[in-house]
Amino acid sequence: MFRYYLILFLTFLILLFPRNIFAESSYVLPYPSAMPGSIIYKLNLIQEELLRFWYFGDFGQFKYNLSQSDKYLVEAKTLFDYKQYLLAFQDLQKSDKYLKKIEPAILSAKKNGKNTTDKKKLLKEAAEKHIEELLKLKQNLPQTFKWRPEKQQGRTLNLSEAFENSIRVRQEAL
Amino acid sequence: MNIVVSIFILTLVLFSIFTYSFVDINLSYLSNLYTGLYLNQRILLSIIYSSLIVVLFSCSYFLLTNLNRLKLNLNKLILFIVLATIFAYPAALTFDIFNYITTAKVTFLYQENPYVVYPIEMLNDPYLAFTRAANKTALYGPFWILLTVIPYFLGLGSFILTLFSFKVFIALFYIGTIYLMRRIDKTAAFFLALNPLVIIESLISSHNDIVMILFALLSLYLFFQKNYMSSFLSILGSVFIKPATLFLTPVYLGLLKDRIFGKKINQEKAFKYSAILMFIIFVLSPIREELYPWYAIWFITFTSFLRKNKFLQSLVLVFSLGLMLRYIPYMATGNYFGLTPIIRNILMITPVLIFLIYTWLKRYSLLR
Repeated sequence: MFRYYLILFLTFLILLFPRNIFAESSYVLPYPSAMPGSIIYKLNLIQEELLRFWYFGDFGQFKYNLSQSDKYLVEAKTLFDYKQYLLAFQDLQKSDKYLKKIEPAILSAKKNGKNTTDKKKLLKEAAEKHIEELLKLKQNLPQTFKWRPEKQQGRTLNLSEAFENSIRVRQEAL
Repeated sequence: MNIVVSIFILTLVLFSIFTYSFVDINLSYLSNLYTGLYLNQRILLSIIYSSLIVVLFSCSYFLLTNLNRLKLNLNKLILFIVLATIFAYPAALTFDIFNYITTAKVTFLYQENPYVVYPIEMLNDPYLAFTRAANKTALYGPFWILLTVIPYFLGLGSFILTLFSFKVFIALFYIGTIYLMRRIDKTAAFFLALNPLVIIESLISSHNDIVMILFALLSLYLFFQKNYMSSFLSILGSVFIKPATLFLTPVYLGLLKDRIFGKKINQEKAFKYSAILMFIIFVLSPIREELYPWYAIWFITFTSFLRKNKFLQSLVLVFSLGLMLRYIPYMATGNYFGLTPIIRNILMITPVLIFLIYTWLKRYSLLR
């Protein structure tokens, strides 16, 4: 009988202190690159524009947009950690913008007779990983944040909505 | 003379036929010619290969050491050499031609950047079955990729036609190099034209090194003609095929210095330093990958102009023989590892050592 009580008690304890456990995706995100504010970051922005042309072709565009989406997600994550909410918010939106461009690249490749099976699989893995990271981040952030820059008007950042939107974009890619 | 030339050409024809023993099992386009000999008769093929190579180098040695006595017609010689080898199967010794074709396909058919997209990403592409290094992005410079648009489209979408249009395209650069050399020094042209390594690697295996070399040589020629802008563009073209010719920079700096100070350009000195620099980069090439026999074309082209140095010409020919022997261990065992690398180096060095000992003994009259 004691055994049943023990199980019941432990179940109660687990329910009392809920803890989200995320599915671990095998997709690997890149290291954080240069952060806003550094000179290298400005150079990176120029490089980003140049690479857009270098990565021509359907698969090239797939790779380019996915790598940029990954990069900005990691950047946003780092900036959120340092409570640089405005910059992080903007990076998250950039990551979404690039992610939205991946599907059209796959469709174009398919239209051009290319086998896109592995690209679709990769996009799915990436989207899963992104969602996993976004859910982790969302837990530790406020719903909204009032950003008050010096000598400028303040701005309310709806972080909750931004996260919902980012997750939805990625769920559409699944 | 005619007999030796005939034996040389006939051996090249036999070598071309011999290359078909290596038709890849996965090359469905030539499945009718597949024999499986390269898998089942390795030792026999190695013996045949060694014999053909020895005959070719012996003929070449005889013809080159008797150039003054023999009145060889370069035009006829080139015509017969090209005809004897142009229909050979190009992937008997290496598979680079498949890589050239697949990279061209990724660029011009799939319209993807070959420096970003791997050929292997083109799932279900039939060329992947026999293309090596399909998991690597483009291995060659952008100018080479740009040039390949010509043979690729001349292939009209047919693999066999594309394969042979690549062969003909590269053969044109071999012919171009010989004729350019002839404009500079007629006799020197024979040293390149008759070197079996140059013939096999440029006309049979169709390596693009001869393309890189033609642009480098053209650049030097244009410099001698005081056409500096064209010379610069030509060496730029060469570097953007393979960056090896970047090592010729000191030669150009020396030539520019002489020109600025009003000194007479010493062509032989320019070729001598080009040969030395190209030999240095050849020797250093294992740092990047390994010592491939066709890299020897880089310095053989320039040593050919130093024809007055008979010892050097013989040494280059003997070393070329040693380099061609490097193919034997893999051909015989089908294994790149184990003892293969050691035996390969021993085979490469042995003819050179024998030649040096022979020369030393001869010099000190020990053989008289």
